[in-house]
Parts: sequence; structure tokens; C-alpha cells
Amino acid sequence: MLLVATYSRAARRDLRNVCRAHEDCVVRQFGRAALLSLTEFGAFQALRLREKHGLDVQVERVTPFEPEDVPAHVREAASAYEAREEPSTPYQRFAAGRDLPAPEAMEGKEL
Amino acid sequence: MRVHVRGTTYESRVVDLRGRPVDGRALAAAVRGERCVPAVDAPAATLVYGYCGYVGPEMGVRTRTALAAAARTRGVETPHDDAIADLRERVAAIDAVEPSLPPARKSVADEDIAALRESVAATRGRLWARERLDGDTAEVESDLRETAQTLATRETERTAAAESRQQRREAARAYRDRLERRRRLTDRLANRRRDAREALVDAVSDRYASALDDVPGTTTDNSAGPTPDDPFDAEPVPAALAVLRVARTDAPVVLETNRLGTPTSAAAWLDAPVIRC
Repeated sequence: MLLVATYSRAARRDLRNVCRAHEDCVVRQFGRAALLSLTEFGAFQALRLREKHGLDVQVERVTPFEPEDVPAHVREAASAYEAREEPSTPYQRFAAGRDLPAPEAMEGKEL
Repeated sequence: MRVHVRGTTYESRVVDLRGRPVDGRALAAAVRGERCVPAVDAPAATLVYGYCGYVGPEMGVRTRTALAAAARTRGVETPHDDAIADLRERVAAIDAVEPSLPPARKSVADEDIAALRESVAATRGRLWARERLDGDTAEVESDLRETAQTLATRETERTAAAESRQQRREAARAYRDRLERRRRLTDRLANRRRDAREALVDAVSDRYASALDDVPGTTTDNSAGPTPDDPFDAEPVPAALAVLRVARTDAPVVLETNRLGTPTSAAAWLDAPVIRC
């Protein structure tokens, strides 16, 4: 999919108009961003906005995400932390006593 | 003040232009310095004149906003003023000019590089075989040089393309970060301005209400009604006149209403120079 995010009022207004006029290429619309289908037509609409508003329009390619794309230790850390008994425990402390990755260990690591 | 209309110059605190072909709104715009004709030579207009500089039929007025501007002319300050000045400075300091990005370069496909590498290896193999057979190697050597050169060029192009892509992304991201920061600051600024406006209105609302009561022909405390009307729901003309009475008005007010009687009595009531048209 294509993520189109806008950074000015005018760009936002035009994005909304595009979404209204070309529903079939819109996967999802958010406040000042939208996901367009990864088709030539979706790209055409995104490029129109880019032409008109320059860098006030950001276009990114979004690839589908599955939990399985993430290493097991990260998935396990997430599910263990969400199952914690003390809701106020910060993750850092939660991970310390267990066999879970420290936040810093994950921060620098690209998927 | 001095007003110049179609060859006639008027110089007085009260100028009566009734019957002269002159547009009140255009005059008010001239008072605000937004137009040069008709020529008006008078003290500079404050922000209040943007709301109430012209009082006449079919006018509208954002009473609270106008009254806040009126309070400013009286030197009223609010606890938000420092924060507003600070936020304005910070907004102004943000460079919101779109940067020009380095030109996009077409990248070289991985397959092309792989094919060239393979070709270099194959040519090297051919050269090696020729050398083993003591054959003529000149042609193969030149082939090898050429292919290796092409590979080096393509690899350089690919590196340059990747670098330019990276630079483009970074410049675009930094620019959008600045826009985002500015948006947050302008949101905060708008909130602070709203708070300041409320404080300003509060500071002079009593004066405004009594000025409104004094506008001839206005009956806000109508005994027929069960409750007195909210002064901020007053009709535009009396509301604007009351705001002007609260404000310090050194610049001329353009009136196209008989509400305050003669131009001279209007000037006295408003304590302002008046152009009646």
C-alpha cells in the first residue's frame, strides 16, 4: 500500500478530496493521512498531490506486517509483558528479572 | 484628520460626507491603511478598526474578538501575553521554507550488477585459459578491462543513487519535523490567544455592557423580557458602537448610521473622530 501523509492544510484538504472522489483506490483514510492501494492509479493520485504540494505530501510504501515477521523473543516479550500482574510495572523493570530482551537491546536492532 | 474625496479636502475632527458619492467600507479600509483612495490622513488605526472601523447597515461583528482588541487599546494586559510573545517568536524562528532536495538518481538494478560481475568472472576465466595455452591474450585483456570498467561505473552509480536517496529522505524528514513542530506550536499559540481574548473580554465586559446600555434606542434591560439579554447577543450596530466607546479611538470611525444622532454628537459619544457618510 501507499501511505500518503500531509503536512499543510491545503495538502490535507486535497487529500480528502482525492479520497472522496476515488474511493476505490483508498484502503483507509485517517485525519491527515490515507492508505492508497499499491496500484498505478493509487500512485497516480499520490503523485498528483506531490506535484501540487511538494514536500508537504509524504508518500511511503507500506508492506504488510505479520507478527511472524518478528523474531520470537520479541513476540514473547510482548505477550509476557501484556500478561503481567502489576499493570504499573514499566517494561524495563519487568524484563530485568526475566529472560526477556532489554528495551535498549531492541531499540537499535532493525527488523 | 484630513480626508480627500474627489477633489475636495476636508479637515476636521468630524467630517460629514452624506450625499457625497463615497463608499463607507472603502473609507474604513483607507483609515486602516489598506487602500490609498480615498486619501485619509489620520492617526494609525488599531486592530479594533478591523472589526468596528465601519459601522453601518448589513455589518457583522465578532463582538468578543472586537472587544478584546478594544481592551488592548486601553493597555489591558493578560497573564498569557508573555507566553504568546514567546510562542510567536518560536513559530517565527522555524524555517518552514521547503528545502530543495538533491536530484533523484535512477538506481542500477541488482540484476545488472550481478550480470556484470558474472561477465567479469567469465572473461577472467577466458583470459586465464588463454594464458595457459600461451595464446594471444590482448583481445581478452581489453574485454576484461572494458567489462570491469563498466562494472565499476555501475557500482559507483548505484552508490551515488543510494546516497542521494538517503539525503533526499533525510532532508524531507527534517523539513516535515519542522512543519510538525510548527503545527504544535501554532496550536498552542491559538489556545493561548483564546485564553488571552477571554481575559481581555472579562476585563472590559462591564464597561462594554454599560456602554451598550447607553447606546440610544437600545433596550437591553427590557422589562418585557423575563431575563436581560446577554450583551454579547446585541445587534451588530449597537455592539460595534459600544465596543468603540470602550476602545481608545484616535483614528476616525466611519459611520453610516443615525443611531448616535448628528455626526458631532456621535463623535462626542464615541470620543472619536468621525466620518459620517
